[in-house]
Amino acid sequence: MARFLTIGERIHVISPTIRKALEERNPEPILKRAKEQIDAGANYLDVNIGPADRDGEELMPWVVKILQDEFPETPLCLDTANMKALEAGIKVYDRTAGKPIINSADAGPRLDMVNLAAEYDAIVIGLCAKEGIPRDNDERIMYCTEILERAMEAGLDQENILFDPLFVVVKGMQDKQQEVLEAVRQISEMGLKTTGGLSNVSNGCPKEIRGLIEATFCAMAIQCGLTSAIINPLDKLVMDVIKTADLIKERYLYADSYLEL
Amino acid sequence: MAYKMPTQKYSGKINEVTIGTDLKIGGESVLPFYSFDGDIGNKPAIGMEIWDVYPESWPEAVLNIFKDVVDDPVKWAKFCIENYNPDFICLKFEGANPDGLDRSPEECAEVAKNVADNVNVPLVIAGCQNSEKTAKVFTKVAEALANKNFVFLSAVESNYKEVGAAVGLAYGNIVAAESSVDLNLAKQLNILITQLGIQPDRMVMDPGCSAVGYGFEYVVTTMDRIRLAALQQNDSTLQVPMILPVSFESWKVKESIATEDDAPEWGSQEDRGVGMEISTAVGVLAAGANAVILRHPRSVEVVRNFVNQMTE
Repeated sequence: MARFLTIGERIHVISPTIRKALEERNPEPILKRAKEQIDAGANYLDVNIGPADRDGEELMPWVVKILQDEFPETPLCLDTANMKALEAGIKVYDRTAGKPIINSADAGPRLDMVNLAAEYDAIVIGLCAKEGIPRDNDERIMYCTEILERAMEAGLDQENILFDPLFVVVKGMQDKQQEVLEAVRQISEMGLKTTGGLSNVSNGCPKEIRGLIEATFCAMAIQCGLTSAIINPLDKLVMDVIKTADLIKERYLYADSYLEL
Repeated sequence: MAYKMPTQKYSGKINEVTIGTDLKIGGESVLPFYSFDGDIGNKPAIGMEIWDVYPESWPEAVLNIFKDVVDDPVKWAKFCIENYNPDFICLKFEGANPDGLDRSPEECAEVAKNVADNVNVPLVIAGCQNSEKTAKVFTKVAEALANKNFVFLSAVESNYKEVGAAVGLAYGNIVAAESSVDLNLAKQLNILITQLGIQPDRMVMDPGCSAVGYGFEYVVTTMDRIRLAALQQNDSTLQVPMILPVSFESWKVKESIATEDDAPEWGSQEDRGVGMEISTAVGVLAAGANAVILRHPRSVEVVRNFVNQMTE
Protein backbone atom coordinates (compact mmCIF):
# COMPACT_ATOMS: atom_id res chain seq x y z
CA MET A 1 0.00 0.00 0.00
CA ALA A 2 1.21 3.50 -0.86
CA ARG A 3 2.57 5.84 1.78
CA PHE A 4 0.36 8.55 3.26
CA LEU A 5 0.40 11.64 1.05
CA THR A 6 1.06 15.01 2.70
CA ILE A 7 0.02 18.28 1.09
CA GLY A 8 1.71 21.35 2.63
CA GLU A 9 -0.76 24.16 3.28
CA ARG A 10 1.50 27.10 3.96
CA ILE A 11 1.36 28.92 0.62
CA HIS A 12 -2.02 30.47 1.27
CA VAL A 13 -3.40 33.86 0.40
CA ILE A 14 -4.80 34.18 3.92
CA SER A 15 -1.23 34.75 5.14
CA PRO A 16 -0.41 38.47 4.85
CA THR A 17 3.13 37.68 3.71
CA ILE A 18 1.93 35.44 0.90
CA ARG A 19 -0.90 37.81 -0.07
CA LYS A 20 1.59 40.64 -0.45
CA ALA A 21 4.07 38.50 -2.36
CA LEU A 22 1.35 37.34 -4.76
CA GLU A 23 0.14 40.90 -5.31
CA GLU A 24 3.63 42.22 -5.92
CA ARG A 25 4.75 39.14 -7.89
CA ASN A 26 7.64 38.81 -5.46
CA PRO A 27 8.91 35.20 -5.59
CA GLU A 28 11.14 35.30 -2.48
CA PRO A 29 8.60 34.83 0.36
CA ILE A 30 6.76 32.16 -1.63
CA LEU A 31 9.91 30.19 -2.46
CA LYS A 32 11.03 30.45 1.17
CA ARG A 33 7.81 28.89 2.41
CA ALA A 34 8.00 26.25 -0.28
CA LYS A 35 11.53 25.28 0.72
CA GLU A 36 10.64 25.07 4.42
CA GLN A 37 7.81 22.71 3.65
CA ILE A 38 9.81 20.55 1.23
CA ASP A 39 12.67 20.27 3.73
CA ALA A 40 10.12 19.22 6.34
CA GLY A 41 9.00 16.39 4.07
CA ALA A 42 5.80 17.59 2.35
CA ASN A 43 4.97 15.48 -0.73
CA TYR A 44 2.83 18.10 -2.48
CA LEU A 45 2.56 21.86 -1.97
CA ASP A 46 -0.83 23.53 -1.97
CA VAL A 47 -0.87 26.92 -3.71
CA ASN A 48 -3.89 28.92 -2.63
CA ILE A 49 -4.28 32.20 -4.52
CA GLY A 50 -7.80 32.90 -3.22
CA PRO A 51 -10.68 33.69 -5.60
CA ALA A 52 -8.33 35.87 -7.72
CA ASP A 53 -11.24 37.13 -9.79
CA ARG A 54 -9.24 39.96 -11.25
CA ASP A 55 -5.94 38.41 -12.34
CA GLY A 56 -6.11 34.66 -11.53
CA GLU A 57 -5.44 33.59 -15.12
CA GLU A 58 -2.16 35.41 -15.02
CA LEU A 59 -1.31 34.85 -11.34
CA MET A 60 -1.66 31.05 -11.20
CA PRO A 61 0.74 30.34 -14.13
CA TRP A 62 3.22 32.79 -12.63
CA VAL A 63 3.28 31.10 -9.24
CA VAL A 64 3.34 27.58 -10.78
CA LYS A 65 6.34 28.56 -12.88
CA ILE A 66 8.39 30.16 -10.11
CA LEU A 67 7.81 27.14 -7.87
CA GLN A 68 8.54 24.53 -10.51
CA ASP A 69 11.65 26.33 -11.75
CA GLU A 70 13.06 26.26 -8.23
CA PHE A 71 11.68 22.92 -7.03
CA PRO A 72 11.18 20.68 -10.09
CA GLU A 73 10.82 17.57 -7.93
CA THR A 74 7.83 18.76 -5.93
CA PRO A 75 4.35 18.46 -7.45
CA LEU A 76 1.73 21.11 -6.75
CA CYS A 77 -1.87 21.33 -5.66
CA LEU A 78 -3.56 24.30 -7.34
CA ASP A 79 -6.07 25.88 -5.02
CA THR A 80 -8.62 28.47 -6.14
CA ALA A 81 -12.31 28.66 -6.94
CA ASN A 82 -11.41 30.40 -10.20
CA MET A 83 -11.71 27.74 -12.89
CA LYS A 84 -9.98 29.81 -15.58
CA ALA A 85 -7.03 30.38 -13.24
CA LEU A 86 -6.80 26.63 -12.61
CA GLU A 87 -6.86 25.87 -16.31
CA ALA A 88 -4.16 28.45 -17.00
CA GLY A 89 -2.04 27.01 -14.18
CA ILE A 90 -2.38 23.44 -15.42
CA LYS A 91 -1.40 24.49 -18.94
CA VAL A 92 2.03 25.61 -17.81
CA TYR A 93 2.42 22.85 -15.21
CA ASP A 94 5.32 20.41 -15.71
CA ARG A 95 4.18 16.98 -14.58
CA THR A 96 7.61 15.32 -14.35
CA ALA A 97 7.31 15.11 -10.57
CA GLY A 98 3.64 14.12 -10.56
CA LYS A 99 0.19 15.16 -11.77
CA PRO A 100 -1.25 18.44 -10.53
CA ILE A 101 -4.01 18.28 -7.92
CA ILE A 102 -7.02 20.55 -8.33
CA ASN A 103 -8.31 21.89 -5.01
CA SER A 104 -11.22 21.53 -5.16
CA ALA A 105 -14.44 20.26 -6.70
CA ASP A 106 -17.68 19.83 -4.77
CA ALA A 107 -21.12 18.44 -5.50
CA GLY A 108 -22.51 21.93 -6.01
CA PRO A 109 -21.32 24.90 -8.04
CA ARG A 110 -17.80 23.47 -8.38
CA LEU A 111 -18.78 20.11 -9.83
CA ASP A 112 -17.29 21.12 -13.20
CA MET A 113 -13.83 20.97 -11.67
CA VAL A 114 -14.19 17.20 -12.10
CA ASN A 115 -14.44 17.71 -15.85
CA LEU A 116 -11.43 19.98 -15.77
CA ALA A 117 -9.43 17.23 -14.03
CA ALA A 118 -10.60 14.69 -16.61
CA GLU A 119 -9.72 16.96 -19.52
CA TYR A 120 -6.19 17.64 -18.26
CA ASP A 121 -5.46 14.27 -16.61
CA ALA A 122 -5.17 15.84 -13.17
CA ILE A 123 -6.05 14.68 -9.68
CA VAL A 124 -8.98 16.46 -8.04
CA ILE A 125 -10.03 16.90 -4.44
CA GLY A 126 -13.75 16.21 -4.18
CA LEU A 127 -15.39 17.99 -1.25
CA CYS A 128 -18.34 15.94 -0.06
CA ALA A 129 -20.40 19.11 0.24
CA LYS A 130 -22.83 21.24 -1.72
CA GLU A 131 -23.56 24.34 0.30
CA GLY A 132 -21.65 24.75 3.55
CA ILE A 133 -20.92 21.85 5.82
CA PRO A 134 -22.88 18.65 5.13
CA ARG A 135 -25.55 17.92 7.74
CA ASP A 136 -24.69 14.27 8.31
CA ASN A 137 -23.01 11.30 6.70
CA ASP A 138 -26.01 10.49 4.52
CA GLU A 139 -25.40 13.83 2.85
CA ARG A 140 -21.65 13.28 2.70
CA ILE A 141 -22.02 9.93 0.98
CA MET A 142 -24.66 11.32 -1.39
CA TYR A 143 -22.31 14.12 -2.46
CA CYS A 144 -19.44 11.67 -2.72
CA THR A 145 -21.56 9.55 -5.06
CA GLU A 146 -22.55 12.58 -7.14
CA ILE A 147 -18.91 13.50 -7.64
CA LEU A 148 -18.08 9.91 -8.52
CA GLU A 149 -20.90 9.77 -11.08
CA ARG A 150 -19.71 12.95 -12.72
CA ALA A 151 -16.17 11.56 -12.81
CA MET A 152 -17.38 8.38 -14.52
CA GLU A 153 -19.25 10.39 -17.14
CA ALA A 154 -16.19 12.52 -17.73
CA GLY A 155 -13.84 9.53 -17.88
CA LEU A 156 -11.86 10.38 -14.76
CA ASP A 157 -10.58 7.30 -12.95
CA GLN A 158 -11.55 7.14 -9.26
CA GLU A 159 -7.81 6.76 -8.50
CA ASN A 160 -7.55 10.45 -9.41
CA ILE A 161 -10.05 11.73 -6.87
CA LEU A 162 -9.28 12.51 -3.24
CA PHE A 163 -12.58 12.67 -1.39
CA ASP A 164 -12.68 15.22 1.41
CA PRO A 165 -15.45 14.52 3.95
CA LEU A 166 -14.82 17.99 5.40
CA PHE A 167 -13.07 17.92 8.74
CA VAL A 168 -14.76 20.13 11.33
CA VAL A 169 -13.50 22.11 14.28
CA VAL A 170 -13.29 20.26 17.57
CA LYS A 171 -13.90 23.39 19.58
CA GLY A 172 -17.60 23.84 18.95
CA MET A 173 -18.31 20.73 16.91
CA GLN A 174 -16.98 18.10 19.25
CA ASP A 175 -20.09 15.98 18.75
CA LYS A 176 -19.38 15.70 15.01
CA GLN A 177 -15.84 14.30 15.20
CA GLN A 178 -16.78 10.62 15.31
CA GLU A 179 -19.17 11.16 12.43
CA VAL A 180 -16.38 12.60 10.26
CA LEU A 181 -14.13 9.66 11.09
CA GLU A 182 -16.98 7.32 10.23
CA ALA A 183 -17.35 9.10 6.87
CA VAL A 184 -13.64 8.49 6.19
CA ARG A 185 -14.24 4.82 6.94
CA GLN A 186 -17.29 4.56 4.70
CA ILE A 187 -15.60 6.30 1.77
CA SER A 188 -12.48 4.17 2.22
CA GLU A 189 -14.53 1.01 2.27
CA MET A 190 -15.79 1.98 -1.20
CA GLY A 191 -12.15 1.68 -2.31
CA LEU A 192 -11.77 5.44 -2.71
CA LYS A 193 -8.96 7.74 -1.65
CA THR A 194 -9.51 10.46 0.93
CA THR A 195 -8.02 13.71 2.18
CA GLY A 196 -8.91 16.58 4.46
CA GLY A 197 -7.67 19.83 5.95
CA LEU A 198 -6.20 18.94 9.33
CA SER A 199 -6.00 22.52 10.56
CA ASN A 200 -9.80 22.70 10.37
CA VAL A 201 -9.93 20.39 13.35
CA SER A 202 -7.81 22.53 15.66
CA ASN A 203 -9.02 25.92 14.46
CA GLY A 204 -9.35 28.43 17.30
CA CYS A 205 -7.48 26.29 19.82
CA PRO A 206 -4.38 27.61 21.63
CA LYS A 207 -1.34 27.41 19.39
CA GLU A 208 0.58 25.04 21.68
CA ILE A 209 -2.05 22.30 21.49
CA ARG A 210 -3.05 22.57 17.83
CA GLY A 211 -0.37 20.15 16.68
CA LEU A 212 -1.37 17.59 19.27
CA ILE A 213 -5.02 17.73 18.30
CA GLU A 214 -4.20 17.51 14.60
CA ALA A 215 -1.75 14.64 15.09
CA THR A 216 -4.21 12.65 17.20
CA PHE A 217 -7.10 13.21 14.82
CA CYS A 218 -4.88 12.30 11.89
CA ALA A 219 -3.74 9.04 13.49
CA MET A 220 -7.35 8.10 14.22
CA ALA A 221 -8.40 9.03 10.68
CA ILE A 222 -5.53 6.98 9.18
CA GLN A 223 -6.84 3.96 11.01
CA CYS A 224 -10.22 4.68 9.37
CA GLY A 225 -8.51 4.66 5.98
CA LEU A 226 -7.45 8.27 5.36
CA THR A 227 -4.86 8.28 2.56
CA SER A 228 -3.73 11.92 2.56
CA ALA A 229 -4.15 15.24 4.35
CA ILE A 230 -3.56 18.92 3.87
CA ILE A 231 -1.25 19.81 6.71
CA ASN A 232 1.33 22.14 8.15
CA PRO A 233 4.48 20.07 7.55
CA LEU A 234 6.50 22.36 9.82
CA ASP A 235 4.67 20.80 12.72
CA LYS A 236 7.10 18.01 13.53
CA LEU A 237 4.67 16.20 15.82
CA VAL A 238 2.14 15.85 13.00
CA MET A 239 4.80 14.65 10.56
CA ASP A 240 6.25 12.16 13.06
CA VAL A 241 2.83 10.77 13.90
CA ILE A 242 2.06 10.31 10.19
CA LYS A 243 5.37 8.46 9.68
CA THR A 244 4.66 6.30 12.70
CA ALA A 245 1.10 5.55 11.59
CA ASP A 246 2.45 4.49 8.18
CA LEU A 247 4.91 2.27 10.00
CA ILE A 248 2.19 0.58 12.02
CA LYS A 249 0.17 0.17 8.82
CA GLU A 250 3.26 -1.63 7.43
CA ARG A 251 3.54 0.73 4.49
CA TYR A 252 7.33 0.64 4.81
CA LEU A 253 9.97 -1.31 6.66
CA TYR A 254 11.00 -0.34 10.18
CA ALA A 255 14.51 0.93 11.00
CA ASP A 256 15.56 2.74 14.18
CA SER A 257 16.15 5.96 12.22
CA TYR A 258 12.78 5.95 10.44
CA LEU A 259 11.88 9.44 11.66
CA GLU A 260 15.03 10.85 10.05
CA LEU A 261 14.04 9.75 6.55
CA MET B 1 -9.08 -13.76 -27.73
CA ALA B 2 -5.33 -14.15 -27.50
CA TYR B 3 -3.92 -14.76 -24.05
CA LYS B 4 -2.09 -11.81 -22.62
CA MET B 5 0.35 -12.72 -19.92
CA PRO B 6 -0.08 -10.55 -16.83
CA THR B 7 3.05 -8.85 -15.55
CA GLN B 8 3.91 -7.52 -12.14
CA LYS B 9 5.22 -3.95 -12.26
CA TYR B 10 7.07 -2.34 -9.39
CA SER B 11 7.77 1.28 -8.60
CA GLY B 12 11.29 0.65 -7.28
CA LYS B 13 14.57 -0.31 -8.95
CA ILE B 14 17.82 -1.66 -7.54
CA ASN B 15 20.80 0.69 -7.98
CA GLU B 16 23.34 -0.24 -10.60
CA VAL B 17 26.78 -0.32 -9.00
CA THR B 18 30.02 -0.55 -10.98
CA ILE B 19 32.82 -2.56 -9.39
CA GLY B 20 36.28 -1.85 -10.71
CA THR B 21 36.04 -0.28 -14.15
CA ASP B 22 33.29 -2.25 -15.83
CA LEU B 23 31.73 -4.97 -13.69
CA LYS B 24 28.15 -3.80 -13.23
CA ILE B 25 25.75 -5.40 -10.78
CA GLY B 26 22.13 -4.63 -9.88
CA GLY B 27 19.84 -2.47 -11.99
CA GLU B 28 16.84 -4.78 -11.88
CA SER B 29 13.26 -3.60 -11.40
CA VAL B 30 11.69 -7.04 -10.94
CA LEU B 31 12.19 -10.05 -8.68
CA PRO B 32 15.29 -12.21 -9.36
CA PHE B 33 15.26 -13.75 -12.85
CA TYR B 34 11.65 -12.59 -13.49
CA SER B 35 12.51 -11.58 -17.05
CA PHE B 36 8.84 -12.13 -18.00
CA ASP B 37 7.92 -9.20 -15.72
CA GLY B 38 10.51 -6.65 -16.82
CA ASP B 39 14.14 -5.63 -16.69
CA ILE B 40 16.26 -8.09 -14.70
CA GLY B 41 19.27 -5.75 -14.79
CA ASN B 42 22.80 -7.11 -14.88
CA LYS B 43 23.69 -10.76 -14.60
CA PRO B 44 24.62 -11.79 -11.08
CA ALA B 45 28.41 -11.81 -10.74
CA ILE B 46 30.49 -14.74 -9.54
CA GLY B 47 33.71 -14.28 -7.62
CA MET B 48 36.34 -16.70 -6.32
CA GLU B 49 37.72 -16.61 -2.82
CA ILE B 50 41.47 -16.54 -2.17
CA TRP B 51 43.39 -15.87 1.06
CA ASP B 52 46.40 -13.76 1.91
CA VAL B 53 47.86 -16.75 3.79
CA TYR B 54 48.08 -20.49 3.30
CA PRO B 55 44.51 -21.76 3.94
CA GLU B 56 45.32 -24.55 6.32
CA SER B 57 41.72 -25.06 7.32
CA TRP B 58 40.53 -25.84 3.78
CA PRO B 59 39.64 -29.46 3.00
CA GLU B 60 42.47 -31.36 1.38
CA ALA B 61 40.55 -31.98 -1.82
CA VAL B 62 40.10 -28.25 -2.36
CA LEU B 63 43.65 -27.46 -1.39
CA ASN B 64 44.88 -29.96 -3.95
CA ILE B 65 43.34 -27.96 -6.76
CA PHE B 66 45.31 -24.88 -5.77
CA LYS B 67 48.33 -26.60 -4.24
CA ASP B 68 50.93 -25.05 -6.53
CA VAL B 69 49.67 -21.48 -6.01
CA VAL B 70 48.21 -21.14 -2.50
CA ASP B 71 51.42 -19.83 -0.99
CA ASP B 72 51.24 -16.70 -3.14
CA PRO B 73 48.04 -14.67 -3.48
CA VAL B 74 49.15 -13.17 -6.81
CA LYS B 75 49.75 -16.59 -8.36
CA TRP B 76 46.58 -17.90 -6.78
CA ALA B 77 44.47 -15.05 -8.18
CA LYS B 78 45.99 -15.47 -11.65
CA PHE B 79 45.46 -19.22 -11.54
CA CYS B 80 41.77 -18.73 -10.79
CA ILE B 81 41.34 -16.12 -13.50
CA GLU B 82 43.17 -18.11 -16.17
CA ASN B 83 41.43 -21.39 -15.44
CA TYR B 84 37.96 -20.48 -14.21
CA ASN B 85 37.25 -16.98 -15.46
CA PRO B 86 35.48 -15.49 -12.42
CA ASP B 87 33.96 -11.98 -12.63
CA PHE B 88 35.99 -10.90 -9.61
CA ILE B 89 38.44 -12.17 -7.02
CA CYS B 90 37.64 -11.99 -3.33
CA LEU B 91 40.88 -11.51 -1.41
CA LYS B 92 40.30 -12.42 2.22
CA PHE B 93 42.73 -11.21 4.87
CA GLU B 94 42.50 -14.16 7.16
CA GLY B 95 46.13 -13.56 8.11
CA ALA B 96 45.19 -10.30 9.85
CA ASN B 97 43.29 -12.12 12.57
CA PRO B 98 44.77 -11.14 15.98
CA ASP B 99 44.21 -14.73 17.14
CA GLY B 100 46.27 -16.01 14.23
CA LEU B 101 49.16 -14.45 12.33
CA ASP B 102 48.07 -10.93 13.29
CA ARG B 103 49.51 -9.39 10.14
CA SER B 104 49.78 -5.63 10.19
CA PRO B 105 47.50 -3.43 8.08
CA GLU B 106 50.60 -2.26 6.19
CA GLU B 107 51.55 -5.82 5.23
CA CYS B 108 47.98 -6.47 4.11
CA ALA B 109 48.01 -3.30 2.01
CA GLU B 110 51.16 -4.49 0.25
CA VAL B 111 49.60 -7.85 -0.55
CA ALA B 112 46.45 -6.19 -1.83
CA LYS B 113 48.42 -3.79 -4.01
CA ASN B 114 50.44 -6.67 -5.46
CA VAL B 115 47.35 -8.65 -6.34
CA ALA B 116 45.56 -5.62 -7.78
CA ASP B 117 48.57 -4.73 -9.94
CA ASN B 118 48.79 -8.21 -11.40
CA VAL B 119 45.19 -9.11 -12.22
CA ASN B 120 42.68 -7.73 -14.68
CA VAL B 121 39.46 -8.34 -12.74
CA PRO B 122 38.09 -6.24 -9.86
CA LEU B 123 38.72 -7.22 -6.26
CA VAL B 124 36.45 -7.68 -3.31
CA ILE B 125 38.48 -7.22 -0.14
CA ALA B 126 37.33 -9.22 2.87
CA GLY B 127 38.56 -8.89 6.44
CA CYS B 128 39.02 -11.29 9.31
CA GLN B 129 36.72 -12.31 12.18
CA ASN B 130 37.75 -9.31 14.29
CA SER B 131 35.81 -6.21 13.21
CA GLU B 132 38.12 -3.77 14.97
CA LYS B 133 41.19 -5.17 13.20
CA THR B 134 39.28 -5.43 9.95
CA ALA B 135 38.57 -1.69 10.07
CA LYS B 136 42.28 -0.95 10.52
CA VAL B 137 43.21 -3.29 7.67
CA PHE B 138 40.56 -1.79 5.38
CA THR B 139 41.82 1.72 6.04
CA LYS B 140 45.32 0.84 4.83
CA VAL B 141 44.19 -1.39 1.97
CA ALA B 142 41.68 1.19 0.73
CA GLU B 143 44.45 3.79 0.76
CA ALA B 144 46.73 1.50 -1.26
CA LEU B 145 43.90 0.84 -3.72
CA ALA B 146 42.45 4.36 -3.74
CA ASN B 147 39.68 5.09 -6.26
CA LYS B 148 39.72 1.56 -7.67
CA ASN B 149 35.99 1.06 -7.05
CA PHE B 150 36.72 -2.18 -5.24
CA VAL B 151 34.27 -3.61 -2.72
CA PHE B 152 35.20 -3.87 0.96
CA LEU B 153 33.37 -6.66 2.70
CA SER B 154 32.32 -5.37 5.09
CA ALA B 155 31.20 -2.59 7.39
CA VAL B 156 29.28 -3.86 10.42
CA GLU B 157 27.39 -2.04 13.17
CA SER B 158 30.51 -1.78 15.35
CA ASN B 159 32.92 -0.41 12.72
CA TYR B 160 30.80 1.22 10.02
CA LYS B 161 31.98 4.75 10.86
CA GLU B 162 35.66 3.93 10.48
CA VAL B 163 35.17 1.69 7.46
CA GLY B 164 32.73 4.08 5.79
CA ALA B 165 34.96 7.10 6.31
CA ALA B 166 38.10 5.39 5.00
CA VAL B 167 36.79 3.09 2.28
CA GLY B 168 33.91 5.19 0.99
CA LEU B 169 34.71 8.82 1.73
CA ALA B 170 38.51 9.12 1.83
CA TYR B 171 39.64 6.52 -0.70
CA GLY B 172 36.84 6.15 -3.23
CA ASN B 173 35.95 2.49 -2.89
CA ILE B 174 32.65 0.68 -2.35
CA VAL B 175 31.37 -0.13 1.12
CA ALA B 176 29.47 -3.35 1.78
CA ALA B 177 27.07 -3.08 4.71
CA GLU B 178 26.82 -6.33 6.59
CA SER B 179 24.11 -7.29 9.04
CA SER B 180 23.37 -10.70 10.43
CA VAL B 181 20.05 -11.82 8.99
CA ASP B 182 18.07 -8.97 10.55
CA LEU B 183 15.81 -7.06 8.22
CA ASN B 184 15.48 -3.92 10.32
CA LEU B 185 19.15 -3.76 11.17
CA ALA B 186 20.01 -4.19 7.49
CA LYS B 187 17.92 -1.13 6.70
CA GLN B 188 19.26 0.80 9.68
CA LEU B 189 22.89 0.15 8.74
CA ASN B 190 22.25 1.32 5.18
CA ILE B 191 20.70 4.51 6.56
CA LEU B 192 23.62 5.11 8.91
CA ILE B 193 26.16 4.60 6.13
CA THR B 194 24.37 6.99 3.78
CA GLN B 195 24.17 9.49 6.66
CA LEU B 196 27.99 9.46 6.70
CA GLY B 197 27.76 10.97 3.22
CA ILE B 198 28.21 7.84 1.11
CA GLN B 199 26.03 7.80 -1.97
CA PRO B 200 23.61 4.85 -2.24
CA ASP B 201 25.11 3.86 -5.60
CA ARG B 202 28.52 3.50 -3.93
CA MET B 203 27.27 0.77 -1.60
CA VAL B 204 26.41 -2.90 -1.67
CA MET B 205 24.99 -4.99 1.15
CA ASP B 206 25.47 -8.39 2.71
CA PRO B 207 22.27 -9.08 4.64
CA GLY B 208 23.89 -12.11 6.29
CA CYS B 209 24.52 -15.55 4.89
CA SER B 210 24.40 -19.10 6.15
CA ALA B 211 24.81 -22.50 4.54
CA VAL B 212 21.72 -24.46 3.49
CA GLY B 213 20.32 -26.25 6.50
CA TYR B 214 21.71 -23.71 8.95
CA GLY B 215 18.90 -21.21 9.38
CA PHE B 216 18.92 -20.72 5.62
CA GLU B 217 15.15 -20.06 5.54
CA TYR B 218 15.80 -16.89 7.55
CA VAL B 219 18.45 -15.78 5.08
CA VAL B 220 16.07 -16.30 2.17
CA THR B 221 13.03 -14.62 3.78
CA THR B 222 15.20 -11.69 4.87
CA MET B 223 16.50 -11.26 1.33
CA ASP B 224 13.01 -11.63 -0.10
CA ARG B 225 11.58 -9.00 2.18
CA ILE B 226 14.46 -6.63 1.45
CA ARG B 227 13.80 -6.96 -2.27
CA LEU B 228 10.04 -6.56 -1.88
CA ALA B 229 10.51 -3.41 0.22
CA ALA B 230 12.92 -2.05 -2.40
CA LEU B 231 10.65 -2.84 -5.35
CA GLN B 232 7.07 -2.68 -4.06
CA GLN B 233 7.47 0.06 -1.47
CA ASN B 234 10.16 1.88 -3.42
CA ASP B 235 12.32 1.96 -0.29
CA SER B 236 15.47 3.73 -1.47
CA THR B 237 17.43 2.67 1.62
CA LEU B 238 17.20 -0.94 0.44
CA GLN B 239 17.71 -0.48 -3.30
CA VAL B 240 21.27 -1.67 -2.84
CA PRO B 241 22.74 -4.71 -4.65
CA MET B 242 23.35 -7.71 -2.43
CA ILE B 243 26.62 -9.65 -2.33
CA LEU B 244 26.68 -12.98 -0.50
CA PRO B 245 29.92 -14.63 0.65
CA VAL B 246 28.56 -18.13 0.18
CA SER B 247 31.87 -19.96 0.50
CA PHE B 248 32.65 -18.36 3.89
CA GLU B 249 29.67 -20.25 5.28
CA SER B 250 29.27 -23.36 3.17
CA TRP B 251 32.83 -24.60 3.74
CA LYS B 252 32.72 -24.47 7.51
CA VAL B 253 29.70 -26.67 8.23
CA LYS B 254 30.07 -30.33 9.14
CA GLU B 255 28.79 -31.58 5.78
CA SER B 256 31.81 -29.92 4.17
CA ILE B 257 34.50 -30.49 6.80
CA ALA B 258 33.82 -34.03 8.04
CA THR B 259 36.45 -36.23 6.40
CA GLU B 260 35.63 -39.52 4.76
CA ASP B 261 37.23 -41.26 7.75
CA ASP B 262 34.91 -39.36 10.11
CA ALA B 263 31.77 -40.09 8.11
CA PRO B 264 32.32 -42.88 5.59
CA GLU B 265 28.54 -43.23 5.02
CA TRP B 266 28.39 -39.65 3.66
CA GLY B 267 30.63 -40.36 0.68
CA SER B 268 33.12 -38.00 -0.99
CA GLN B 269 33.97 -34.95 1.11
CA GLU B 270 34.68 -32.88 -1.96
CA ASP B 271 31.31 -33.70 -3.51
CA ARG B 272 29.54 -32.84 -0.26
CA GLY B 273 31.29 -29.50 0.05
CA VAL B 274 30.60 -28.60 -3.57
CA GLY B 275 26.97 -29.67 -3.11
CA MET B 276 26.58 -27.41 -0.08
CA GLU B 277 28.23 -24.52 -1.89
CA ILE B 278 26.11 -24.84 -5.04
CA SER B 279 22.82 -25.27 -3.17
CA THR B 280 23.53 -22.24 -0.99
CA ALA B 281 24.56 -20.11 -3.97
CA VAL B 282 21.54 -21.01 -6.08
CA GLY B 283 19.27 -20.37 -3.08
CA VAL B 284 20.57 -16.86 -2.46
CA LEU B 285 20.61 -16.04 -6.17
CA ALA B 286 16.95 -16.98 -6.40
CA ALA B 287 16.31 -14.71 -3.40
CA GLY B 288 17.96 -11.70 -5.01
CA ALA B 289 21.75 -11.92 -4.60
CA ASN B 290 23.53 -9.79 -7.22
CA ALA B 291 26.93 -11.38 -6.56
CA VAL B 292 28.16 -14.55 -4.85
CA ILE B 293 31.59 -15.59 -3.65
CA LEU B 294 32.56 -19.22 -4.23
CA ARG B 295 35.59 -21.38 -3.55
CA HIS B 296 35.47 -24.56 -5.64
CA PRO B 297 35.94 -24.44 -9.45
CA ARG B 298 33.15 -26.97 -9.94
CA SER B 299 30.76 -24.68 -8.02
CA VAL B 300 31.80 -21.76 -10.19
CA GLU B 301 31.05 -23.75 -13.31
CA VAL B 302 27.65 -25.02 -12.18
CA VAL B 303 26.49 -21.68 -10.74
CA ARG B 304 27.59 -19.87 -13.89
CA ASN B 305 25.59 -22.30 -15.99
CA PHE B 306 22.60 -21.74 -13.76
CA VAL B 307 22.87 -17.96 -14.06
CA ASN B 308 23.32 -18.15 -17.82
CA GLN B 309 20.32 -20.39 -18.30
CA MET B 310 18.18 -18.17 -16.11
CA THR B 311 19.18 -14.95 -17.83
CA GLU B 312 19.81 -15.76 -21.49
